[in-house]
Amino acid sequence: MAMASALTQTTDRASRPKRARRSGVVGSRAFPYLLIMPMLALEGALVIYPIVRGALFSLDTPAGLGLDNYRYMLADPDFWRMIQHTLVFTLSVVVAILAIGLSLALLMNWSFRGRGVVRSLLTVPWAIPEVPVAITFVLMLDPSFGVFNAFLRLVPGVTENPQWLLDPVLAMLVVVGATVWKGFPFYSLVLLSALQSVPDELYEAAKIDRAGRFAQFRYITLPGIRPTLALLAVLAFIYSTQQFTLIWLITGGGPVDATTTLAPAIYMQAFRFYNFSYAGAIAVVGFGISAIATLCFVLLQRRMETPE
Amino acid sequence: MSAPARTRFRLPSLEDALRGAAIVIVSAIIFFPVYWMIVSSIRPSAESLSFPPPLWPGSIDVQSYFQLFVEKPIARWLLLSTLVASLTVIGTLILVIPAAYALSRLYWPGRSAFGLLLLFTQMMPAAVVVAPILALYRGLGWTDNLWALALLHTAFVVPLCAWVLKASFDAVPKEIVEAALIDGCDRWKVLWLVVLPLTRPGLVAVSVIAFFASWNEYLFASTLITKNDLYTASLGLATLMTQLDTPLFVLMAAGVTFSILPVFFYMAIQRHLLRGLTAGAVKG
Repeated sequence: MAMASALTQTTDRASRPKRARRSGVVGSRAFPYLLIMPMLALEGALVIYPIVRGALFSLDTPAGLGLDNYRYMLADPDFWRMIQHTLVFTLSVVVAILAIGLSLALLMNWSFRGRGVVRSLLTVPWAIPEVPVAITFVLMLDPSFGVFNAFLRLVPGVTENPQWLLDPVLAMLVVVGATVWKGFPFYSLVLLSALQSVPDELYEAAKIDRAGRFAQFRYITLPGIRPTLALLAVLAFIYSTQQFTLIWLITGGGPVDATTTLAPAIYMQAFRFYNFSYAGAIAVVGFGISAIATLCFVLLQRRMETPE
Repeated sequence: MSAPARTRFRLPSLEDALRGAAIVIVSAIIFFPVYWMIVSSIRPSAESLSFPPPLWPGSIDVQSYFQLFVEKPIARWLLLSTLVASLTVIGTLILVIPAAYALSRLYWPGRSAFGLLLLFTQMMPAAVVVAPILALYRGLGWTDNLWALALLHTAFVVPLCAWVLKASFDAVPKEIVEAALIDGCDRWKVLWLVVLPLTRPGLVAVSVIAFFASWNEYLFASTLITKNDLYTASLGLATLMTQLDTPLFVLMAAGVTFSILPVFFYMAIQRHLLRGLTAGAVKG
């Protein structure tokens, strides 16, 4: 759920000019800080402090404080394979989730009877918790009785059930598929409302100018939703780097390490090998990635707020 | 939200028919895993374990659900999940109402920085902090403690909730607030008596988000809770999955049982949820 982060402003231009008057009416300058204090304290204790502590773990080596963990990490082929798997997983999820989300939104951007029902049905994968999603995918992909095999057998030339979870490429496909299936409704619904906010007059004008379907999409629809698409791309990126449960329960990061992305890698180091300090070093990399993604998100949002 | 197509009047055409067909087919594909989960829970396991498994259940048998509740402690798991999730909702509301009010209605130095901090904590993958949190919780003696788990769930869901609630505070007309202030209401009264009643949908959305973020959460629960009798539903379910002696249809019945509540609530408040989640990014 944390993936479905708020697409909101960090600054609110509207209320800024009110400053002088507000402070006159509202009074006490400490009031806002009192309001945020409890939340700030909790975030400090349970998010910020653990990040710092994790970073300190990573500096803790048998030879005293030092960068040995990082040296080891950068020389470790497993680490680079993990980065590679993370990139493949993340990019596949982002591209697939936006492509499917947009196609569905385009398909739904049209008034038809039962539209509300379809919208509600679309919400279902988003609402189902990850553990049952994992259970269902494992069942559907079972090499001896999984229903996916039955569908695949309909393709001419396929005579054997693939070992979905034992083949590195197929296993990656499976975790990407499950992640996309669970996540796409959010993207689809957001894109749908973006499509609906593209002014109708533009399409009317295009029709008068005899612009074709594709031209309309290319020159009206796409520019109209581009800012939303960009923000959603960042959110999808974050959603996929956060993904742990589906990967862990479907493949356990395997076969061998073929689906071990950042989150399962940290978990394995910490709880399988009990190597907290090396896990800390990998976590710092994860922290860096998500900090950069957050900055991209903020910059995109700023750009969106300033009229072109 | 404007729906331009809705107001236009046109006759059904071939294109509309094709679109309709495409929607039906795509919905069927998307919905298939859900269908499969339900079907596998209401037919004898032997049928699901044959290959190819029949697409329609040959016989319907809801015995799995009885077996689930009699033989597995699912009622207890669900109860504990409800407890943890309810605590998370309470904690979230207590923290998020004042913070969202400060973000939306007040201007103060440091507000942008606070917003950035929230965004940043919200984007942080849980895996990054899970090991230090375990160390911290061990030090405090907070492992195997459902209250402490709820506190952690609260910490990870409040940033998102703050944005959602801020968006609905933003929508309260300034004039109403100013009128109340002029009428002599103090700041707290404005918040409790004027702003909050007007933002009920936002409060509902925030509660649902917090409840199910906790209800669904697996990573923290699995690292911090080790005692079987404190298992929440996501933990219990994951254990059933790895226990090979659980009959398949009982496992699927457990999955369905665990999903009913979130699916129902998400569907019910889908519009509010989305409006809150997208405020600011989608004009219109």
